Amino acid sequence: MAERTFHLPDLGEGLTEAQLVRWRVDAGAPVEVNAPLCEVETAKAVVVIPSPWAGTIRSLHARPGESIPVGAPLVTIAPTAEPAGEAEATGGSVLVGYGAHTPGGAQRRRRAPAAPASTPTPQAGVRAAPFVRQLARERGVDLSAIQGSGPDGRITRSDVEAAAALPSAPAAAAAPQASAPERRPDQDGDHRITVVGIRKAIARQMVRSVSTIPQFTEFAIFDATALMEARALARRGGRPRTPLPYFVRALALAVRAHPLLNSSWDEARDEIVVKGALHVGIAVNTPQGLLVPVLRHADRLDLDAIAEQAGRLIDGARAGTLSVSDMTGGTITVTNVGASGPIETGTPLVNPPECCVVGFGGIRQRPMVVKGQVLARESAWISISVDHRIVDGGLATEFLTTLVTQLEHPE
Amino acid sequence: MPQTGTANHGLTREQLVDLYRKMVVIRRADQEALNLQRQGELGLWGQFLGQEATQVGAIAALQDSDWVVPSYREFGMAMCRGIDPGTMLGYFRGLTHGPWDPRRYRFLPFAISVATQVPHAVGFAMGCRLEGSQDVVLCVFGDGATSEGDWHEAMNFAGVFRAPVIFLCQNNQWAISVPLRQQTAGSIAERAQGYGFPGVRIDGNDVLAVVGAVRTAADRARRGDGPSLIESVTYRMGAHTSADDPTRYRPPAELAPWEARDPIARYAGWLRAQRIVDEAQLAAIAMEADAAAQAMRATLTHLPIPPPGASLFGRVYHDPPASFLKEREEFEASLEPPP
Amino acid sequence: MSTVTLGKAITQALRDALADDRKVLVFGEDVGRLGGVFRITDGLQHDFGEDRVFDTPLAESAIIGISVGLALRGFRPVPEIQFDGFIYPAFEQIVSHVAKYENRSGLSLPITIRVPFGGNIGAVEHHSESPEAYFAHTAGLKVVAPATPADAYGLLRTAIAGPDPVIFFEPKARYYLKGELELPCPPVPLGRARIARAGSAVSVIAYGPMVETALQAAQRADAEGISLEVVDLRSLAPLDVDTVVASVRKTHHAIVVHEAPVFGGFGAEVAARISHDAFDSLEAPVVRLGGLNIPYPPARFEKLYLPDADRILQAVDETLAYG
Repeated sequence: MAERTFHLPDLGEGLTEAQLVRWRVDAGAPVEVNAPLCEVETAKAVVVIPSPWAGTIRSLHARPGESIPVGAPLVTIAPTAEPAGEAEATGGSVLVGYGAHTPGGAQRRRRAPAAPASTPTPQAGVRAAPFVRQLARERGVDLSAIQGSGPDGRITRSDVEAAAALPSAPAAAAAPQASAPERRPDQDGDHRITVVGIRKAIARQMVRSVSTIPQFTEFAIFDATALMEARALARRGGRPRTPLPYFVRALALAVRAHPLLNSSWDEARDEIVVKGALHVGIAVNTPQGLLVPVLRHADRLDLDAIAEQAGRLIDGARAGTLSVSDMTGGTITVTNVGASGPIETGTPLVNPPECCVVGFGGIRQRPMVVKGQVLARESAWISISVDHRIVDGGLATEFLTTLVTQLEHPE
Repeated sequence: MPQTGTANHGLTREQLVDLYRKMVVIRRADQEALNLQRQGELGLWGQFLGQEATQVGAIAALQDSDWVVPSYREFGMAMCRGIDPGTMLGYFRGLTHGPWDPRRYRFLPFAISVATQVPHAVGFAMGCRLEGSQDVVLCVFGDGATSEGDWHEAMNFAGVFRAPVIFLCQNNQWAISVPLRQQTAGSIAERAQGYGFPGVRIDGNDVLAVVGAVRTAADRARRGDGPSLIESVTYRMGAHTSADDPTRYRPPAELAPWEARDPIARYAGWLRAQRIVDEAQLAAIAMEADAAAQAMRATLTHLPIPPPGASLFGRVYHDPPASFLKEREEFEASLEPPP
Repeated sequence: MSTVTLGKAITQALRDALADDRKVLVFGEDVGRLGGVFRITDGLQHDFGEDRVFDTPLAESAIIGISVGLALRGFRPVPEIQFDGFIYPAFEQIVSHVAKYENRSGLSLPITIRVPFGGNIGAVEHHSESPEAYFAHTAGLKVVAPATPADAYGLLRTAIAGPDPVIFFEPKARYYLKGELELPCPPVPLGRARIARAGSAVSVIAYGPMVETALQAAQRADAEGISLEVVDLRSLAPLDVDTVVASVRKTHHAIVVHEAPVFGGFGAEVAARISHDAFDSLEAPVVRLGGLNIPYPPARFEKLYLPDADRILQAVDETLAYG
């Protein structure tokens, strides 16, 4: 019969050890169930430990006077009969209390994380409430680049919304510039420029554009003769206008015909969100960098209203006086590509999370074939870049065609 | 030697022998449970050595339809009510707070906090009376419990509402280390007068005296005459529990006179003298008790560890809130299955 | 549809419960002949008899202790503790038995303990306390505190008819608050909060007597253009975390208000749940408003101790100014 070792149990509600007083058996001697094995003294009492099995004492694991930890081997016995199932049922003598284990029982253990836990990057000095941090994550705003306007320099919801409005998408044009560039020459004579503020926000937004949006671009040239005539008419009526209001108006009508262009891709749910309102972002080159003020509900405005509001937004952007609501919530963006210089057109980048950006080139005279004759006509390039997840080439072409038609036949 | 055996309360010879058998069986179970604790199979054990006559006699005096409201030292009573002792030891093994269905045995769960079960018994008995039922309630507690406020409040309620309840005090002279004289300066039994019902003091080591007193009280309750208090004078021969050491407070000389009044030896002597049993029967009963103790050990050591989710969360609310069920789900999901 | 006081709504609920189920018993100190010190049980003994509506001796522990026994016997006891500050003798019975008896027996304990609670009534010591956190902390209990007559009726009917023990805290300062009660009404489930007033800027979370105070604050804030949403928890245990969190996700600001002292109060649980479940929605730390961490004060000082509309509005200002 296999030998079995009896371990010192917790004899009294959380005891951790006992001192052996004396053995009442000798090694090699027979022992009956419940016959006294030894006396031990705990912190509470002197108690007699009865044998759990009948058999022959094989070895004693402690000497009188010795301290035995609860759970340590006390005696080894060769049982005369296998105690049916006991070992399987209890697995040891420390059942409850100190040192207890529950063999055969379920365990609650620390688990390794499913993915390696990323070490959080400490943002020393950044003070912002959880919601503000969440908002910053959603809008791609770097909190460390923001000066908080709240108490104790705390970054507020408004601060994040303002910062989120600063970056803009379009135009390959904008020259690298930083709002407060710090130039640090190195050994080779290269200069490293610390990127902060709007430059950093633009960089982040553009990375997001090209890394998350599969986009393609289509180009067209439109005949601006009618548009220029309309401008001249307005000017004579005392309402001088830039071409921009006509672009915005044509865009609003094209979106009405093709609402899918005024949308965004919800990455969390893989759904297309078709926008209920048309808020046109207007890319404006400013001394701080590219800003995109938003002309709200552009589809509800007539040309005069568009002209008036766009003028206010562009001036405000350049002067840095716009409110947060003027800088947020765009659903589609227009940008001016080649208003000056020899540039004809360019490839604008979609402004996330929007679906479409429209670039207008400068209006100037170009040779165009009209009714079989090559004529010098006022004309301009137009380019659209769209999110291919939402829009295919066919729809983009339809949209661009509508846009051109509207521009060639202004009200 | 005082014996009340002249009055055998109309018990048959078989019933008289059965009282003896039960005392021997529960004592043997008590001893085995202490061994099991010393062998690491139980977290704690509270002996009732010396109190077998009160435990067996009280249950024998009841009808099966009556209810018992115990404290925690009434393991022997629970065995007399038919609850399996090995399963019951699951309580002391740390497997469950309630190893039996109280309705099946008409035996409520153990009450650890002293005297708190006494108002339960009174409320239960008030309910019996409201229903017009013939059921009576036996409420059991120790001498220490009579110092508690709940004990007083419950006795008072029982008197006011004439509740059909029998208050049985197992006065075993000790509340852990505090002797009776430091527990109360007066008589326990006589307090009943103040509550408006009878109180008696009996020899709790005389099983027939216990049967007689409890039966008298039960009859009275069943008649609608209200509660009774029985102070059953006995002695706790062992320690308070397996975690206790009575040599620290109890004079050794105190044990000898109580050993002389041992309830089993006394009753065996009376049964012999009455020629109700012979030696062969006594030996057979001792073997029966040994076998029962081994069966108890086997049952205990084979008790399965119940599934944690159901064990811990299954009996907290009858109508568990959704948030509670969610916590249970999260708990169960956090478990590693046993190897 | 009729207009009733909160107190009368409770009386009606007890009356209807007694009429619907013969196992329902109403008892406590002075609840029988007198009809209760707040007259909540007025007329019930006359109509349902001394066996079902009865006066007990002055013994709170036994009142709850016999409730356990009666419930085990198959009754539905509805004991009354006369005042909040007198519940402590019964604390052991409630915590060790009412809450845990099912756990050791598997038996249902349909006990509804009615407790008038809270201050603002100019009372002497022990008559104005808010001990709800002790009980909400105890597994096995359900804890309810209505704020309107309709909820008082509906929640009490649900509590009495249900299978689990319920501590039913009645806002005694609102016993005379009037509101609409249409009978029969659908049952009000436990564990379901109520938007007492919708708003957008700050969530004010309250229960019992403080709901009315929060509504007063919301009305004043509205005049200043600040929109407060008032969440009436109705049930503390189980707690309707979803409704609270949905509100805070909308407003980004939360104030929890109760009469009990703030330290270790129930507001701490609500604040912790918001902080955990709506962490990313918070624009400011959750504010806890409550009584001072002192024994309930003498009546002349209770207005300084209890939260009122001004203190709620002050907290609103501070949380909105946070950042």
